[in-house]
Amino acid sequence: MAPSPRKPPTPTAPTTRRALVLGGNRIPFARAGGAYAHASNQDMLTAALDGLVARYGLQGERIGEVAAGAVLKHSRDFNLTRESVLGSALSPTTPAYDVQQACATGLESVVGLANKIRLGQLESGIAGGVDTTSDAPIAVSDRLRRTLLDLSRAKTVGQRVAVAARLRPKDLAPAAPRTDEPRTGLSMGEHQALTTAQWGITREAQDELALASHQRLAAAWDAGFFDDLVTPFRGQTRDGNLRADTSLEKLAKLRPAFGLGLDTPATMTAGNSTPLTDGASTVLLGSDEWAAAHDLTPLAVVVDAEAAAVDFVHGVDGLLMAPVFAVPRLLARNGLTLDDLDYVEIHEAFASTVLTTLAAWESDQFGKERLGLDGAFGTVDRARLNVHGSSLAAGHPFAATGGRIVATVSKELHRRKQAEGRPVRALVSVCAAGGLGLTAILEAA
Amino acid sequence: MTTVVLPSVPALGGLYARGAAATGRLAVARRVGRAPRTLPDVVHEVRGVRADADHLTAYQHLVGESASDRLPAGFVHVLAFPVAFAVMVRPDFPLPLLGLVHVANRVEQHAPVRLDEAFDVRAWAQDLRPHRSGTTVDLVAEVRVGGALVWRGVSTYLAKGVRLAGRPDDAVRDEFVAPVPTGRWKLAADAGRRYAAVSGDHNPIHLSRLSAKALGFPRTIAHGMFTAARALADVGAVRGDAFTWTVEFHKPVLLPGTVTVRVAPDGPGTAFAGWDARSGRPHLTGRVDPLR
Repeated sequence: MAPSPRKPPTPTAPTTRRALVLGGNRIPFARAGGAYAHASNQDMLTAALDGLVARYGLQGERIGEVAAGAVLKHSRDFNLTRESVLGSALSPTTPAYDVQQACATGLESVVGLANKIRLGQLESGIAGGVDTTSDAPIAVSDRLRRTLLDLSRAKTVGQRVAVAARLRPKDLAPAAPRTDEPRTGLSMGEHQALTTAQWGITREAQDELALASHQRLAAAWDAGFFDDLVTPFRGQTRDGNLRADTSLEKLAKLRPAFGLGLDTPATMTAGNSTPLTDGASTVLLGSDEWAAAHDLTPLAVVVDAEAAAVDFVHGVDGLLMAPVFAVPRLLARNGLTLDDLDYVEIHEAFASTVLTTLAAWESDQFGKERLGLDGAFGTVDRARLNVHGSSLAAGHPFAATGGRIVATVSKELHRRKQAEGRPVRALVSVCAAGGLGLTAILEAA
Repeated sequence: MTTVVLPSVPALGGLYARGAAATGRLAVARRVGRAPRTLPDVVHEVRGVRADADHLTAYQHLVGESASDRLPAGFVHVLAFPVAFAVMVRPDFPLPLLGLVHVANRVEQHAPVRLDEAFDVRAWAQDLRPHRSGTTVDLVAEVRVGGALVWRGVSTYLAKGVRLAGRPDDAVRDEFVAPVPTGRWKLAADAGRRYAAVSGDHNPIHLSRLSAKALGFPRTIAHGMFTAARALADVGAVRGDAFTWTVEFHKPVLLPGTVTVRVAPDGPGTAFAGWDARSGRPHLTGRVDPLR
């Protein structure tokens, strides 16, 4: 059949519009081996999604796209997010995809979906993240895996015997996932201990930050701030790691856990480091039109985002210092300074991660030599830093942290704008394994 | 100078057996005052050497290199060095093979060697010279592709307690001060056997506690070139296509063992060091620099 003569279509140039945070829902974070010890990533992500569906009346709704991920993921969970959607009350016609950017997974899910909304590809999206260290995947050793694969390809009995004969008893030992950096062999805590020593961060400063995190998170729970952000799961009603009654005295008694082999005194303890945690979080995103059609109140606008990475392998910068470089680029692009931010959310991988970040920004030398500025980047007003506590108190189920922060700070931005009627902005900064960092600006809608 | 063309790269295993026998003969010859005191004036050559893809992959996985089709400089050493080794097991070689210690290695890579390229290896011994604890010798291997020199390796070996003519120069080694680490290698008990499998270097000191003990070591020790190859892999792509890779081996790494390392930019290139965090004593130090 001859092609019909018609004018080639002329696609309209994409126009950008606002991408809104409309709400969020997570399950309380539990300490590893606690209430969610036998819950899988899919169980927890589905629970967080269903809580979001219930809270915003999305039963049977076809959402534009759901993007979520887990850092520690079994290979059978190749479609973790789609499988969770299929198990949720969302319409089974809701598409989904998995994201993985280490601890920045949750925030990257938000940024990616927000960009699609801004481009008009999506009207709505749900970003999320989940992680379990209690139900972590355990793999067979590389030698056993290769032997089994070669065995499946062997054609003759002789070949099979030859392949099987390569196996040694110790090849049968399982390989648990490790949090060591693959290229350096150092754990995240050992890396941060090097950075902590480099910047001379004291034990007292770290313990004070940890205490503030617990006190602020406890106050937020007591004030009912999380009542419309968290849905209880498996008997867990609050974040399991929260110690409302901790004190500087109690924190000071803990023995150092990282940096023991360095020349400087070890300062990082279990109290000022984030524990292994299980949990899941979700964030509801949409366009203005979609929000209006669903009678949802816009909380915040996802304004912009910037990723960075550092060469920690060769000791040029500390493993968790990438946000130090991302934020100055992000703010400059948007014509903002640290003083223009009403809230600064810096993920507390360790108390000293926050403190080394602040120290680098306050350093004239670092500003000039590494950031290419005229002097120090600036100082963060501590009253604006992690106002409702952060990962030290809440815990840090790796991929779930981005969603926790975005939902929490979006609600706070909305509340503040309602009260003061002026533009209110927040910075979100998440460091991640592999020397990665992801940062974003949110503004009250 | 005589050129001996070998049909193929010899297997190191057989060379060790011949070397052990030669060591015995040399001991007898020395007692009767007939031991050779100079290096044989000979070049060993093998033409048309090709790498095997599975062998390359196994090497790259073990030392932490990306699985590129370019042969890591340490892998070229694995393929070329047995040709030089064959010089050491000749009856006219003046040092006993058993007990030779690899104390330093220098590689100049002028251009990458690709998996699909055939190359020629020429190797000889040179610079027999006194050392404060014995006698050292350089084993040189050159690799050419289409006649062009692409890789040159100089492996320095020490024969402890062997005194030939001359006095050592009194070069003082810099005292090692452990720097800020950038990483750590955890080497398993079988690290020696695994590197032996990809390098063909089945020296008993690397294979089992029993065989290592028989040769005077408390435990199995890691191959020096394995640690040097890991350091080169840690340097990464910044090394470029043409570079020098030098390493000095100090205290052997006992297996299983942990080596604290620093691999960091230094001057025009990258310096690396591996040491024992408890004693502060170095296992290896070296550099990778662009070749101009």
